[in-house]
Amino acid sequence: MNEELDSQLSAMFDDELAPGECELLARRLSRDEQLKARWGRYAVIGGAIRSERGVRLNAPLAGLVSAVILAEPALATAHGARRAGVRWWQPVAAAAVAAGVAAVSVLWLRAQAPLAAAPLSARLTAPTATVPAAAVVPAAAAGAPDSYVVPRTPAVRATVVVPSTELANYVVAHSVFSSPVTRRNLLSAFMTGESGTAAEEPRDDAQGNVQ
Amino acid sequence: MSADASDLSLVRRVQRGDKGAFDALVLKYQHKLVKLVMRYVRNPAEAEDIAQEAFIKAYRALPQFRGDSAFYTWLYRIAINTAKNAVVSRDRSPIEYDLDRNNEESYDMQGRLKDSETPEGLVLTDEIRSTVNAAIDALPEDLRTAIVLRELEGLSYEEIAAAMACPVGTVRSRIFRAREAIDRRLREVFEGGLGRAEELG
Repeated sequence: MNEELDSQLSAMFDDELAPGECELLARRLSRDEQLKARWGRYAVIGGAIRSERGVRLNAPLAGLVSAVILAEPALATAHGARRAGVRWWQPVAAAAVAAGVAAVSVLWLRAQAPLAAAPLSARLTAPTATVPAAAVVPAAAAGAPDSYVVPRTPAVRATVVVPSTELANYVVAHSVFSSPVTRRNLLSAFMTGESGTAAEEPRDDAQGNVQ
Repeated sequence: MSADASDLSLVRRVQRGDKGAFDALVLKYQHKLVKLVMRYVRNPAEAEDIAQEAFIKAYRALPQFRGDSAFYTWLYRIAINTAKNAVVSRDRSPIEYDLDRNNEESYDMQGRLKDSETPEGLVLTDEIRSTVNAAIDALPEDLRTAIVLRELEGLSYEEIAAAMACPVGTVRSRIFRAREAIDRRLREVFEGGLGRAEELG
């Protein structure tokens, strides 16, 4: 037998062989009966040196264990079958989790919608604030009773833009769970919608200026 | 070099369905495990039965073994639990044998128990033991020291190298050569009547 191989076997028996070499030798050891017999004798030598009294060094234990194991399915097969047996519920559980996340997201978005709309309408009213201000200040100066004027143009624009905000929030929240392809499509659609809105905005402003 | 790498590589092979790799693990640890179980049961034959059961349990549980601990540590726990369950199920009190090498009285008691239980096994084991001891006595000093430090004291190659003031590679070579010399004598015993098939299963 190859002396280098036997030297590796001796080192492997002592857990002193490099992991990569162990992998290769383990494969050979599991198939080569002569090598396995030598491995077994190394164990006997160790047992004899340690004077393991009460232990039969020639006990047929390994043969008995091997006979029982031979009658059993290989672990990879048995484990695979066990895994296949429990696999059916995994898609169901995944679908349930996904549905739960979607439901929570929708509820959360509904709860967040008024808050999300507020800053947007405030931001949008800023450029056009001069128009209602001009109408309100003279009335206050005249000592007239309190009156509240709701600017018409921002309100109309808020109703137009807020759904886009909701959509943006939804896309951001949903992007955590969606696939990149779907996310890109949604974002593309959103961007198209936004660019459409943005294209319309100057026209609105232009109209406002005209007014 | 990583401790337990050889066991882990064998375990991974078993987990992938290679039953032959498990034989190597059984061959390596059978004596240790029987010795361990002997702390709980009276006779060697019963200890062998329990060790066999522990090995089979370990094989069936191997898919759950992730390598967080050393394989022998994991196997040790299975064997201890199996031995305790066996003792409880047979309504016996566990008998703790003191396996300290300094306690000669304990050794003698175990030897007598063994004599009465399996005299043939003892004869064969004694022949193996005397052959190994004779082979060790015939070894050159450096080989004998290396193999004894390894097998009896359980030192790593690095520790042996420090103790013997030589490189680790030399230690590896000395231990291998010592084993080969002993193995040559041992093969003669096995092939001369004891039967390697019986010994190695």
